[in-house]
Amino acid sequence: MIELVLKRAAWALVVLFLVVTGVFLLANAVGDPAAANLGPRASAEQLRVYRHAHGLDRPLHERYVRYLGALAQGDLGRSLRDDQPVTAVIRQRLPRTALLGSLALFFELCIGLGFGIFAAVRRNSWVDTSVMSAAFVGVCLPSFVTGPFFLREVAFRLGWFPVGGYGRDALDHLYHAVLPALTLAILGAATYARMMRSEMIEMLRADFVRTARAKGASPVAVVLRHAARNALLPIVTMLGLSLPLVVTGAIITEKIYDWPGIGRLAIESIDALDVPMILGIVLLASATVQLGNFLADLAVAALDPRIRAGASR
Amino acid sequence: MDVRALRRFRKNRGALVGAALVAFVVTTAALGPLLAPHAPDAQFPDALDRVTGLPVGAGGRYLLGADQLGRDVLSRMLHGGQTSLLVALGATFLALVTGLSIGLLAGYLGGPVDTLSMRSIDVLLSLPFLLVAIVINRVVDSPSLLVLCGLLGGLSWMTLARITRAKTMQVRELEFVQAARALGMSQARIVTRHVLPNVVQPAIILGTTLVAQMIVAESAMSFLGLGVRPPAATWGTMLSDGVSMLSYKPLLMYLPGGMIALTVFGFNLLGEGLRDALDPKV
Amino acid sequence: MRSTRRSDALALLCALALPCALAACSDPRSGPRFAGAHGDDAAPQRGGTFVFHHESDVRGFDPHVAFDELSNMGIKLLFDGLLDYDHELHLVPRLATALPEVSADGRAFTFHLRHDVRFHHGRELVAEDIRWSLERMLSPATASPGVSYFAQLEGLDDYTAGRAPHVRGIEVLDRYTIRFSLREPDQTFLNAIAMPFAAPVPRERYGPDAVEIARHPVGTGPYILEDWEPGIRVTFRRNPRYWQPGKPYADRLIYELNLQRETAFMRFLAGDLDHVHRMTPADRLFLGQSAAWASYRELKPDADLWGLEMNTELPPFDNVHVRRAVGFVIDRERWSLARNRALAPLGQALPAGFAGHDPQLPEAQVRDLARAKEEMRLAGHPDGLPEPVTLWIGEGPTGKAYGELAQANLAEIGIRVELKPVSFPIYLRETGRPRTAQMVFGGWSQDFPDPATFFDPLFHSRAATPTDSTNRSFFKNSTLDALLNRARSERDAARRTAMYREANALVTREAPWAFAFSNIRLEAWQPYVHGYRIHLVWSNCFRDVWLDLPRRRLAQRFAPRPGVPAALLPFGGAR
Repeated sequence: MIELVLKRAAWALVVLFLVVTGVFLLANAVGDPAAANLGPRASAEQLRVYRHAHGLDRPLHERYVRYLGALAQGDLGRSLRDDQPVTAVIRQRLPRTALLGSLALFFELCIGLGFGIFAAVRRNSWVDTSVMSAAFVGVCLPSFVTGPFFLREVAFRLGWFPVGGYGRDALDHLYHAVLPALTLAILGAATYARMMRSEMIEMLRADFVRTARAKGASPVAVVLRHAARNALLPIVTMLGLSLPLVVTGAIITEKIYDWPGIGRLAIESIDALDVPMILGIVLLASATVQLGNFLADLAVAALDPRIRAGASR
Repeated sequence: MDVRALRRFRKNRGALVGAALVAFVVTTAALGPLLAPHAPDAQFPDALDRVTGLPVGAGGRYLLGADQLGRDVLSRMLHGGQTSLLVALGATFLALVTGLSIGLLAGYLGGPVDTLSMRSIDVLLSLPFLLVAIVINRVVDSPSLLVLCGLLGGLSWMTLARITRAKTMQVRELEFVQAARALGMSQARIVTRHVLPNVVQPAIILGTTLVAQMIVAESAMSFLGLGVRPPAATWGTMLSDGVSMLSYKPLLMYLPGGMIALTVFGFNLLGEGLRDALDPKV
Repeated sequence: MRSTRRSDALALLCALALPCALAACSDPRSGPRFAGAHGDDAAPQRGGTFVFHHESDVRGFDPHVAFDELSNMGIKLLFDGLLDYDHELHLVPRLATALPEVSADGRAFTFHLRHDVRFHHGRELVAEDIRWSLERMLSPATASPGVSYFAQLEGLDDYTAGRAPHVRGIEVLDRYTIRFSLREPDQTFLNAIAMPFAAPVPRERYGPDAVEIARHPVGTGPYILEDWEPGIRVTFRRNPRYWQPGKPYADRLIYELNLQRETAFMRFLAGDLDHVHRMTPADRLFLGQSAAWASYRELKPDADLWGLEMNTELPPFDNVHVRRAVGFVIDRERWSLARNRALAPLGQALPAGFAGHDPQLPEAQVRDLARAKEEMRLAGHPDGLPEPVTLWIGEGPTGKAYGELAQANLAEIGIRVELKPVSFPIYLRETGRPRTAQMVFGGWSQDFPDPATFFDPLFHSRAATPTDSTNRSFFKNSTLDALLNRARSERDAARRTAMYREANALVTREAPWAFAFSNIRLEAWQPYVHGYRIHLVWSNCFRDVWLDLPRRRLAQRFAPRPGVPAALLPFGGAR
């Protein structure tokens, strides 16, 4: 087991290294961050000073080596925009995206699993058909279609939620996060609903469930105690795989709702050719992908009764 | 697709709806430019209110109304549909070809080719799609349609390659393949004659859903202001153009958004239908 | 069985509630949601928090380095200068007790400082601070873009070369008196002094760390930087030691950053913002026509210049006839309509309101298809150009809209235009490089209310530098250069105006640009906000704002349509 973990970790590092190299070459192939950050009225002298201060006048390979060296020490460099350390900025912005992502995940699970179970229990009724149709449609609605719709109808016209933005204090942040989280959650909720329903239907048909019901146990108890638990395995796997979404899936949603998280930071950094920041974000995203995959595999190993049974023997 | 599969497909209502939708979308995309009443880029002065400059609504000379520069929405939707679909199909085709080839080679040849391919796929899969697409789009700076197809397709072939590889490895061990090898048939012929037909099925199913994903990806990039060069219209650019009119003429966003959703819906239904027909869960 | 029926019915009811609620809502754009507690005639009140916004991020508040609108909105709150502009754009004294004494030959300016000014950290302001601050700004280490505005100062070259420790032309006469000496008379010198580049800062808080300074500004202004959440908002609090008695009024100012213009107006209507200025054309249209907002908005033509900048060194725009043709084919009226009347069409090299602008200028560029075609014929291309032309535009919906408008117009004289949307950094770098961009959609807004602010950076040959050129058409005309040089030092106002009018006619005739429009500023504020008017030099100056609080909620927001019971309205309309 330990050996497996180490192997995975080593491979993950190799992947990250290749990713960083690739994006470094890409990002440096385009133009000059100096003009981006100093604005149109900057004098030639100002630009020259800036370029020199950030080492932008050095040859590419030299910059690459320096970057790797700093990276090995955990230093992601400084933002070309305002000289803030990249790690500090990311650390500041990540919790905001994490809030959005976690709330979205929460909605996905509640709505998705809830409706999935509901539809499974009312199989073949009109409830089932309508929920499943809604879920199918939900899978087809990308965030740049639902986002503006929510913004206009629910936030602006109904006034139930603020029209984008981040808010002032903790509770306010949560209030501002609801609509963007819902926008993010639609796709996941629909997927989970359909998954949960099909798994639940299989479970409900299983012998041991029939026995429990014959014995007089209430359908709710049966559902919750036996069926749902077993249906969770593929859900948990999906959860692990959707961890990266918490970081990068929000790019469009954050733009639509003016949410100052990592997604927005990515757009701003790419606009400003802020190479260290872009690299930092890409590293973060790739690392979460690796982590997500790893956790998913772990969960499968832990939860799959066949594997567990095999291990205990 | 054998007869039983076809019958299953025909019985599946969802699959039929999906097929109908796809047919509708593809036909309008193909014929679109012929059906469009006006040129998509033409700016008509009478399409804007003389006093305010707001675009006219649906009806009259402009069946679906006009956008904020006075262009006919219906014509733009038709032309845009063709462009969006072209990009999506082109990208999918590229992804299919790449994925199939690499999957086949990796699965059949095994050894170092296999290891290298799988490792590369691992690396590529851990790249955040949208981020990389944006960065590359920056580097290329207003790409042509072909480059765009290449970009999107080049980031999407990995899952297909994995599935193809697994299937190839399965098929490779089958008796008739072993027999062909023993008989001295060339590798190339074995692959094309025997392995490929068996591997193509899951590829097609995946390909259908891939088209849907590519449409969303292209729209997402256009929405962020990247993607095709103006004044070329796609549904994604129409969405992005329509944001500024969101509270006044929401149709400018809802129409292309609805079409995107409908197209994705159709392709997803079709994909599911194909999967149920070809590979039913007993 | 019955329980399942009931829960199903409940589910159905919930599902239908949303569309009903939507249908029942009246348009929240019917009018302002909040009014002041006392009405429009109230006397200035102290207290309250004022919230304003902008579209992008702020990089820093160093007055000697920052040169963009976003930073300036904060800099005007934090810093004072010797001079300032009133709303009619006349120079008025601020830190000086009066306008300067000018010597007979027009080359020396003597200022007397107020005695009661303190920096934010407590120390009194003295004339030495003015000198130190100016020398800091002029020092090569600071690399300020403002140096060129003070080019006429005596001894500046020696100072920048390191040959002298001080600038000879800046003399501290006593604790509160300072004198500036120029090599030649420069009519724009006082404008330069009014710019934030000349704002005094305390030397003990301004060390060599530029980043530190930009994030922790210390000045003499009415507000102090309290907090800065990067990318989100900047908070300013009242300076209790400000030298103007009773001012400033508002306790706190909050500067919201990175708000997209598509949603900014919606947020203003909802009451989250107290002032709004960046809106989509459709929002502007609504605001401009809404009777309910009439007393709380201001429409004012901006002092800027926008158009198609043509590279006079590259074909086909090295031919003046082609350039003139472009100037005559642009349909300015249509452009204005397409942008919902947010533009004032302009066909000459100076916007309205500037000395030298002539509404009846004979050479003015106007929409005239026949003349455009005639010019193309004179150029030798009666049927248009064989090769397409590339028009560089900024990314985003605005650049795209103008690009497409230009494409449609130029097609009428047979010029095919390919749009090249590029990110802002690339746009700046490439268009400022010679022989790179054929045609650029761009503009320039005034730095100060004087025609030199347009001619010198845009059309003087000195401004056509090998990198980062502001003269993006690389227009080099020795007659114009001589005219501009003379006009800069000319002391007689009437003669000066005549010179700039001549320059205007020359540039318009030579058409390095197809001049298209000036923007029209439209800004609005909540009814409980007082003391704000558009200032064309300082975009959005909120120093004198006061709030009539507490704000009263007006009842008209969720006015129900007849027949719809109030119970169906969400939360009874409250938020």
